[in-house]
Amino acid sequence: MERKIKVLMAKPGFDAHNWGATIVSLALRDAGMEVVYIGQQDPEQIVQTAIQEDVDVLGLSLLSSTYMKLIPKITRLLSESGAKDILVVLGGVFPLDDIPKLKEAGVDEVFLPGSKMEHIVDYISKNVKRKASA
Amino acid sequence: MGGTKETKRFRERKEVFATNSGIPVKRVYTPGDISGLNYDRDLGMPGEEPYTRGIYPSMYRGKLWTIRQFSGLDTPEATNERFKYEYENGITGFAIAMDNLSIMGHDPNHPLAEAEVAAGGVSLSNLQDMETIFEGLPIGKISAAVIPLMTTTCPHTAMYFALAEKRGIKLSDVDGTTEGDPVSFAACGPFRDSYPPRHLLRLGVDLVEWCAINVPKWHPVSFTSYNYRETGVNAYQEIAGLIAAALDYIEEELKRKRLAVDDFVPKFTFHLSAHNDFFEEIAKYRAARRLWYRLMKERYGARNPNSLTLRFHVQTAGSTHTYQQPLNNIVRIAYQVLAAALGGAQSIHANSFDEAICTPTEKSVLMAIRTQQIAQLETNIANVIDPLGGSYYIEWLTNEIEEKAREYLQKIEEQGGWFAALESGWLYKERIEAQREHTKKLAGGELNIVGVNCYEMAEEPYEYDVYKTNPKTYEIQRAKFEKLKRERDNDRVQKALSELARVSETDQNVMPAVMESVKAYAGVGEICDVWRKVYGVAEQRML
Repeated sequence: MERKIKVLMAKPGFDAHNWGATIVSLALRDAGMEVVYIGQQDPEQIVQTAIQEDVDVLGLSLLSSTYMKLIPKITRLLSESGAKDILVVLGGVFPLDDIPKLKEAGVDEVFLPGSKMEHIVDYISKNVKRKASA
Repeated sequence: MGGTKETKRFRERKEVFATNSGIPVKRVYTPGDISGLNYDRDLGMPGEEPYTRGIYPSMYRGKLWTIRQFSGLDTPEATNERFKYEYENGITGFAIAMDNLSIMGHDPNHPLAEAEVAAGGVSLSNLQDMETIFEGLPIGKISAAVIPLMTTTCPHTAMYFALAEKRGIKLSDVDGTTEGDPVSFAACGPFRDSYPPRHLLRLGVDLVEWCAINVPKWHPVSFTSYNYRETGVNAYQEIAGLIAAALDYIEEELKRKRLAVDDFVPKFTFHLSAHNDFFEEIAKYRAARRLWYRLMKERYGARNPNSLTLRFHVQTAGSTHTYQQPLNNIVRIAYQVLAAALGGAQSIHANSFDEAICTPTEKSVLMAIRTQQIAQLETNIANVIDPLGGSYYIEWLTNEIEEKAREYLQKIEEQGGWFAALESGWLYKERIEAQREHTKKLAGGELNIVGVNCYEMAEEPYEYDVYKTNPKTYEIQRAKFEKLKRERDNDRVQKALSELARVSETDQNVMPAVMESVKAYAGVGEICDVWRKVYGVAEQRML
């Protein structure tokens, strides 16, 4: 039997807008994934937990102007830890011209406000990099 | 009347029509729907019990609602410039939006400061920053609202008081509001690095008590269901939560046996949301006033009219604004301002249309101010008080909302009250349920949002500017804070913080020690670290 896709969901830094992270976590669980939700955490804690929990996907949610500093820091720490095979998915509010910069920094996909849950589930299911090792 | 020939011939678009809160509504309302309504008992004249129609006899004919825009960005210097711009363009009240670092109780030397300084507002760590924000602005003439979370409610308010004193204004004359409220904790909390709810209650009530004696014109708390509503709860849950939190404050102060209800409740203020369901929102404001009046009268025997009246600020609901086609938000905001005004708000913040994307630009703030001025001066809505009073639908809906709010309030009280329900996690479960429900409605098309789940466009049709925070703010604020630490009297700071630690463990009011710490130029992070040590840090709630 194929093992469940395991997702770590976190909010980097102090941003407390948690509706998106909550709803997406619930939708992923409903879709049969295992979701570990850790709330507001430092980039170091997020990366450490992702590795400890051996997740397939890192879900990050930010509705704060901190994204250009915190997100690249997380992707850098992930790659320094050799965890390049974790799919990094970001949700929240980002001006359109910053999205290419976030992807360049190592984010696999960005979901904006109004994204449909089934699209997020579908994207993750199709793009998990570690499926083969299951 | 369903099933008659007429209703069958005139078919309707949907099986069930309902308000945003899920209250089913009929095709039309008639005298029969409000046959139990007694004018004197249930409505009364404006300024008279039970205050359903408004809290003052003259309302906007006496004084138009305050245009109080919530704003703050980058450095205190940049915010000062923005405040001056807003003042020159006719706002009549300030409200300081702080960055996440400041409201969570940290200074610009915190390890996350490089990312978090200026995120969501101005960096406000200490008295020097407060002085800069209000440089050249007549704080004696225009009232300010200090908008911290409960974590920093005492020190951030103390900074404003210390500024007023330095300007030669007596504390007994200082006018304004502190928001620092417990309702928001159900929305996003427990906020990171905050103390457990029971200690927040203690600190919040300390400020109420100290102000009642020392700063009698100040409103030391603005119970804020705005943020709570933003998480997806409905209109009647919003006012039930609002009132439940205020009742906990009252009980906490009465337990201390130092003040009577009419000594401190008169300065309570409230901050509600203006959501999309136009008539439901108007009914909500009217029901909230009546419910508050009835509880104060029935439970506490309050006599001071200011204890019996629910004075409130309204903010247009950010969660109703869309990232897509953002100029459409201008229209949403205008309708929401209209609902707030028809509901008798004392002050209104109109959001800027770009807040779904970024910190507002100067132009979008101007648009928000003009939206309010057009409502005030061109529509004539301020000519007649409670113009919808007596409408069969509005009166019926006001009754419904009041009843449902009472029922939900009872549910919260069965959990032991607002703070107990926060600590037990009951409120978080309720929130998640509301969010799940909302998402379901959106996905199923039961709820329409133009540009999001209908009338979507592949390409953005409008052009607009995006505000980006100044990336230098962190370095500037950090350098200023380090310099301040070198130049201030550090013995005085240490003495003040030790005294604060000492009183925080007793049942003495903390405010004198907070005032001394602030005047010695201690940073908000240094002050909150004292409490994190004494009270501990609340655990974040996981899913």
